[in-house]
Amino acid sequence: MSEMIIRTEKLTKIYENGYSTVALQDVDLEIPRGSLSCIMGPSGHGKSTLLHLIGGLDRPTSGKVFLEDLDLTAVDANHLAEVRCRRIGFVFQFFNLLPVLTVLENVEIALMLAGIPPRNQRERAEELLGLVGLEDKLQAKPNQLSGGQRQRVAIARSLANDPDILLMDEPSGNLGTKSERELLENIEKVNQRGKTVVIVTHSPSVAKISHRIIYIQDGRLKKEGE
Amino acid sequence: MTRGKLVFKNLTRKKSRFLFTILGIAVGIASLVTLLSLGTGLEAEVKKQSQALGAELVVTPKGWCAYEQISVLTGESLPEAIPNEDVEKVAGITGITAVPYLVQRTAIKNQPVTVVGILPEPMKQFKNWQIDRGEYRLDRESVVVGSSIAQQFELKAGDKLTIRGTGFILRGILKEMGNRDDLVIYLDLATAQKLYGVGDKVSFIAVKVDDVTQMDRYSQEIQERANVAVVSDKQLIRSVLAIMGTVRNTLQMIAAVAVLAAAFGIINTMLTAIHERKREIGILQALGARRRTIFSLFLYESALYGLLGGVLGLAAGFALSFFAAPYIEQSEFTAFLGSAQSVKMFSPAVVGQAMLFAVVVACLAGIYPAWKASRLSPVEAISYE
Repeated sequence: MSEMIIRTEKLTKIYENGYSTVALQDVDLEIPRGSLSCIMGPSGHGKSTLLHLIGGLDRPTSGKVFLEDLDLTAVDANHLAEVRCRRIGFVFQFFNLLPVLTVLENVEIALMLAGIPPRNQRERAEELLGLVGLEDKLQAKPNQLSGGQRQRVAIARSLANDPDILLMDEPSGNLGTKSERELLENIEKVNQRGKTVVIVTHSPSVAKISHRIIYIQDGRLKKEGE
Repeated sequence: MTRGKLVFKNLTRKKSRFLFTILGIAVGIASLVTLLSLGTGLEAEVKKQSQALGAELVVTPKGWCAYEQISVLTGESLPEAIPNEDVEKVAGITGITAVPYLVQRTAIKNQPVTVVGILPEPMKQFKNWQIDRGEYRLDRESVVVGSSIAQQFELKAGDKLTIRGTGFILRGILKEMGNRDDLVIYLDLATAQKLYGVGDKVSFIAVKVDDVTQMDRYSQEIQERANVAVVSDKQLIRSVLAIMGTVRNTLQMIAAVAVLAAAFGIINTMLTAIHERKREIGILQALGARRRTIFSLFLYESALYGLLGGVLGLAAGFALSFFAAPYIEQSEFTAFLGSAQSVKMFSPAVVGQAMLFAVVVACLAGIYPAWKASRLSPVEAISYE
């Protein structure tokens, strides 16, 4: 098994909206298995774009993304969906929970999409929500939770199908200090369970717990350090 | 969590929009069901009236069209066109019993009523009528009426009746026959001919044959002897049903257009929902939902609109057809539908056709919005604000 779980080769993304905007250019990146990496840089310089490309949410203009030996740029949309379902978990800045569902159902839906039968979904969802300390909020709706609690639901959901990689886009962007501290504890806990974690962030606190920091400026990889 | 649960939760999140979209479908289906229900009883009702006529052959003037043939069964007024000379020629044929009809209209308390001039004794035997109250007597001053007419206008034997300005005495009320005979005032033929000023003419002649295997021969003989046309009861039913069927199909087409209009309501609702839930579609895609999963979720929503609208429309349609049937204005086209008995309530065929139509139309309406949702780019969808 490859030591590098994620690898990019000359990854370039250009947005065409009447005029060309270069979001990423020739990015060569390697993420080791089990690492906790942090992508930093000024706003609008390509951090989220890089995260979306390595998570298979978007397609590059050129270059390649490898998940172990699988070239994500060469597979069709359904295969990519399968990869997102089973191998990658996402956590976003604005939590992105489904407002009509309860906390429990928001986790169960990830299991449903992976084809887990309803009778097995509940046990797994309760276990994950217990892991993030929300066992008493199972039937609450997202709008009844604080920002920190919503982010914990999002983390539980991202872990539902036991993915290898957790990709987080500004996970502490909408959280207060206390909630951010809880989030960091959860991230470390997840990483200690062997998950590879990649976080896009502006937060120095998040950077502090990372094993490595990747800087991006003007769509280019600026510096990579341990 | 199941797809069904997710679909239902999404569907009902905007309750007023959900309700109005359902109502759009329900109104269309209700009108379709009403017309289907009324139409289902049509054939049976036409056959029933044909049986009530009690004739295997109907002698009509030459050149009658199918609309006039309908009136033989519905009791609408008919032009007088067969002279007495021809009636006698037909009646003189061995092996048949012929009874002439002169069908006209009058009004009692401003309500239109059918008046039929008949030969009293032959007709009584022909129809096997029984008298319920009073006596069976028809002459220049006396009439008898069907049971429904007596009931509707609260008539009793001995009452006075005015027909076209002439006074008559109601001598008797016939026993209920369960057909259009109950809705008629019967006059002696000669009296009716004089009253309506039609000379010695009648509208048509009903003929009963002794040997039904010789129908063609009798038919030919009648046409050879008299200047008339002959139609068999089966031909009569066929041509009546053909015309009624055309009218029914046209009305059902109009109802179907109403359902199709509601389908555009579904498309609009679904496109709005997709626009509003773009980010949620992105979330599902990030969680690993395939294109066909997104497609099926939105298609199920459309189908559910059709299903629920169909159920509501069925209930409303059955209720409407049950309550509306007795109030349908009598005419050549609706005469057979004018009774609640002619409405086949909860016919499996009507339920099946209406539900299938509702769901198929809703699914077709959902295809484009569902396809649009499934083609969204995950990153665009999830970044949508």
